[in-house]
Amino acid sequence: MYGFEALSFNIHGGYLEAIVRGHRSGLLTTADYNNLCQCETLDDIKMHLSATEYGPYLQNEPSPLHTTTIVEKCTLKLVDDYKHMLCQATEPLSTFLEYITYGHMIDNVVLIVTGTLHERDVQELLEKCHPLGMFDSIATLAVAQNMRELYRLVLVDTPLAPYFSECITSEDLDDMNIEIMRNTLYKAYLEDFYRFCQKLGGATAEIMSDLLAFEADRRAVNITINSIGTELTRDDRRKLYSNFGLFYPYGHEELAVCEDIDQVRAVMEKYPPYQSIFAKLSYGESQMLDKAFYEEEVKRHCLAFEQQFHYAVFFAYMRLREQEIRNLMWISECVAQNQKSRVHDSVVFIF
Amino acid sequence: MEEDRRKDDEDNKLALQFMDSLHNYLSLTHSLSSTLRQGWLELASAKHSMGTSRVNTSVLDLKSHSASTTLKITENDDGTQPQFTLQKWVSSEHESTKLEDKNEHPQDSDTKSSDNDEVRKERDKSLSVFGVLISPKLRATQLSFEKALETLIDIANMRSSVLNSFTQLHKEVEDTKE
Repeated sequence: MYGFEALSFNIHGGYLEAIVRGHRSGLLTTADYNNLCQCETLDDIKMHLSATEYGPYLQNEPSPLHTTTIVEKCTLKLVDDYKHMLCQATEPLSTFLEYITYGHMIDNVVLIVTGTLHERDVQELLEKCHPLGMFDSIATLAVAQNMRELYRLVLVDTPLAPYFSECITSEDLDDMNIEIMRNTLYKAYLEDFYRFCQKLGGATAEIMSDLLAFEADRRAVNITINSIGTELTRDDRRKLYSNFGLFYPYGHEELAVCEDIDQVRAVMEKYPPYQSIFAKLSYGESQMLDKAFYEEEVKRHCLAFEQQFHYAVFFAYMRLREQEIRNLMWISECVAQNQKSRVHDSVVFIF
Repeated sequence: MEEDRRKDDEDNKLALQFMDSLHNYLSLTHSLSSTLRQGWLELASAKHSMGTSRVNTSVLDLKSHSASTTLKITENDDGTQPQFTLQKWVSSEHESTKLEDKNEHPQDSDTKSSDNDEVRKERDKSLSVFGVLISPKLRATQLSFEKALETLIDIANMRSSVLNSFTQLHKEVEDTKE
């Protein structure tokens, strides 16, 4: 029953909750970002990061640095933190932690399949995969010609198997099929994760419902905006929206027929939690929408830490760390391209 | 005397033409630099929005396919000034002569509309290596680099004009010395 987690949570989850709160305190502060934004070169960024938790991961990297190297090494820090928590976790926390990585698994599957379709070398593709989404038979994806083979040869033994029931066809893989497969898998994953959190109950269910509902709503808006002017039909667009979230079901009906950004805005402004997002944008503008969504996401994830004895802190930490890596990527790109005046276009401060 | 004045006028005209061409050449170079800067930043922004796994070189298509944009070089009658023309978004389903036909005949609004649809389809096809549902930032990146390509061709034509003007001017000066 919600409210009694304090009696028993610490038996199995107390150590890891302390660990993740320790990791949270290691996230970069506004002062760190101000220093980073004033760097002239990528080596300056490396020097500033050497005093943070990323220091050991970057210290052996030779000059000249590249922006992708900084992102890769910082991602390794996230992976190490995750693996340490996973190996210490017991059920159901271990399953919860595994759920967090299924999104990366889907991205890796799509990357391998897309790259193979474009006759790229499998080793090159594997190097670009996200380390949190790796699984044993991932390289075998390259031999599949259609989704049925993809499922039968490789994915049937992975955690993504249950998500394939809606998109198995014998059609050959092409760019449109792959895109629909990506979004259908992600929809099924989010819904499954949502149901799992609901089963856990208590504070985990309450907080994770809010976070996952926001994720589902943001995906719906991004799918809508990205599909404007493409061959994706309204029905196909509607099928890619998740069956939960604030927009479900009436907002989805309206989003499915939107033909431009202002119509999307009109739909979102009917929902009070999202009014503040579009209030920051002028009419017809969509460039700053991503930043507005990220800011809202960071705010919600930071709030998750205000309550104890639930698993949402692990999810929130992973997402905040990913946001931090996105910030570092953007700052590095602006410094490398000598465009420091644009650095605040996309940096989202966490604290 | 009349002839000298006419010759002076011609020399001045050539000199002005040379200076104008040079000025336009430098302006275009500056414009290219700022367009490319914008394009690279938009690409970084698209990577930030869509994620590095979706926007990276490993998804580019290595299968053999025809170029979507070609360059045509023609020369004037005396072969002194080559002219560069960009044929953009040539559909892989149609021959490139189709674009040339369109340039020769006047277009009505229906033809223009279907041309715009074709160009949009070719643009989408080019970007489809990154996926079908891509961020508007990636489309903006494509437009920036497309504009940069057009500017490059303008620079090439302007450079051709500069060199031609300079050659003519130099020849006039040499003739005057003689």
